[in-house]
Amino acid sequence: MSGAVTRTGLVDAARMQLRVIGALVIREMHTRFGRQRLGYLWLFAEPLLLGGVIALLHGASGGEGIRSSFEFFSIGFMLFQLLRGIVSRAPNTINANQTLLYHRQVTLPDLFFARHAIELAASAGVMALFVVAGIAMGGAAPDQPVKMILALVLMLLLAQGIAFMVGSITSEFEAAGYFVQIATFGIMPICGLMFMVEWLPPDWQEVALWMPTVHLFELMRDGQFGEQFRTFYDLSYIGWWIIGPHLLGLAGLRIARARVGLE
Amino acid sequence: MKLSPPTTAFEPAGEEPAWTPAPPPRRRRPWPIRLLRHPFAWLVLLPTVLAIVYFYLVAAPQYVSEARFVVRSRAEAPQPSLGNMISAAVGGAGGLSTAAEAHSVRDFLLSHDAVARAQDKIDLIAIWQRTEADLLARLRHEEPERLTKYYNGMVTAQLDGLTGLLTLRARAFRPEDARAIATTLIELSESLVNRLSERAREDSLRVAREEVAIAERRVLESRAALTRFREEQQDLDSAGSVQAAVATIGGLETALAAVQAELRERMAFMRPDNPALQVTRNRVAALERQIEAERSRRTQGGGALAQQLAGFERLMLERDFADRQLASATASLEGARMEAQRQQMYLARVVEPNLAVYPLYPRKLISVGSIFLGLSVAFGIGWLLVAGMREHAA
Repeated sequence: MSGAVTRTGLVDAARMQLRVIGALVIREMHTRFGRQRLGYLWLFAEPLLLGGVIALLHGASGGEGIRSSFEFFSIGFMLFQLLRGIVSRAPNTINANQTLLYHRQVTLPDLFFARHAIELAASAGVMALFVVAGIAMGGAAPDQPVKMILALVLMLLLAQGIAFMVGSITSEFEAAGYFVQIATFGIMPICGLMFMVEWLPPDWQEVALWMPTVHLFELMRDGQFGEQFRTFYDLSYIGWWIIGPHLLGLAGLRIARARVGLE
Repeated sequence: MKLSPPTTAFEPAGEEPAWTPAPPPRRRRPWPIRLLRHPFAWLVLLPTVLAIVYFYLVAAPQYVSEARFVVRSRAEAPQPSLGNMISAAVGGAGGLSTAAEAHSVRDFLLSHDAVARAQDKIDLIAIWQRTEADLLARLRHEEPERLTKYYNGMVTAQLDGLTGLLTLRARAFRPEDARAIATTLIELSESLVNRLSERAREDSLRVAREEVAIAERRVLESRAALTRFREEQQDLDSAGSVQAAVATIGGLETALAAVQAELRERMAFMRPDNPALQVTRNRVAALERQIEAERSRRTQGGGALAQQLAGFERLMLERDFADRQLASATASLEGARMEAQRQQMYLARVVEPNLAVYPLYPRKLISVGSIFLGLSVAFGIGWLLVAGMREHAA
């Protein structure tokens, strides 16, 4: 905080940070998919297969109306995939890229930003594919795509805050990473992917709405199905869930940076 | 760390002219100046101070009037009958339909329809544009859509899903205004419930009433047809006439049998040309002719008794059927009326709208606190991000 850095200095720094993140994205893609035959296509193939299988299983298992529909689970699963992809990869982000930290320009958040950009591209791309597939299979077009995009962006931010926290905690206590792996799957039945709040009895509805992801799934389904269902969501509640972990996580990463550098 | 240009803005305003010729190192400055030069002051403290000024000095007090009511139907009252007990055990459908009614009342209360009706009864626009209202909180646009938006900020209706209790809260700048809004809204909800209930009642009764009208018409028509038939045939009771005719023929046949016996008896001891025998023969012939004539009169031709009887019996049957239909239609109307009576919805006030004494709104401490907290956290994140960005340039 010397005060010597002026506004243009900040813009330069931001531009530099974007370049670093861009380079990190390319490196990450290469280390993850570079050696496989299909190459970068695996980025989309993995969630596509998972989401497709889950949607088909639920579709085949029967059920009433929308509960068994292809769109409900395939598109919902992509929102979940974004959260799962970001949070479950958070524990080893710092470890995997530790060597890069010898470059002064690479900061810890950059590593996370790069991974999150990849996850967002994968989830959003496959989700768009599923939307098109749903329409092609005779489903209705999304009612308000803006709300679905907003849900994606908010899910990215929510997952990012959590990922920062997870990353800074696991850099100190490595064992915490295993709990994160379990938790990302354990959260699946209660995160809002499997149900809509409207289906729950009234007293359970309140309990379900404590879960921030439930609000996001409701927001996305509001955009997806429009007025067909009553949806419950509170954007300010999600807002607190986004900025709280961001503050703690970013602060944690600054502490972690000092410790990681010592090794 | 300079996000905004306070440096240039503050240098001339510096209160210490003695320092200007040779400024000592930064650290020496007194802490209030240092705090003011920090972006935290501009991005967090200044908005918080503005919020404090607004909420504690400018904002007009807003009074809340609260009312609670339930939408009930008589069907929910326990009735000592087996059917009701079974349906209650299975999961009373009556309660569900009442919850649906409560939902529609809630939706009505938050709709433009309620705003328009309330505006007709009490002048909402004037209420929310009172002189004591401050600039930020008052109603600024009078178009119906924007009025509805503002209304939704000032009036809340919450439904407790389990009990069906609706809680209505209305805010205004004068206590009596808030109470007037709440009272009017309850009256509007009451008339809505009555309208819905009336409509359901009419629907269920209309079919039964139509049935009764049809049965009544049929009864009248059958009576009229019977009367017309009697006038045409000049005969009150065709069945009785038939019995009389049968009796006549029977009598004639008895007489004929007696005369024939007498003839045989006389032929045994009289000469064939005896005049007494001739008289008897004449009587037999006369009786046979008479029987023949009676038979043909009763059974053949247009006005024959057989035709008459058939028509008469058809009409009597029709009359019986019509009577029975009327009886059953009347009974089902009675049932429908009782059912409608039982299903009638009504709005029961649990808590009457109150006249506020202390203004609960605006919530000063919570608002100021959440503004400060939110800005601080946002500032913290921003600072961390910017600091991270700086590392790239360093």
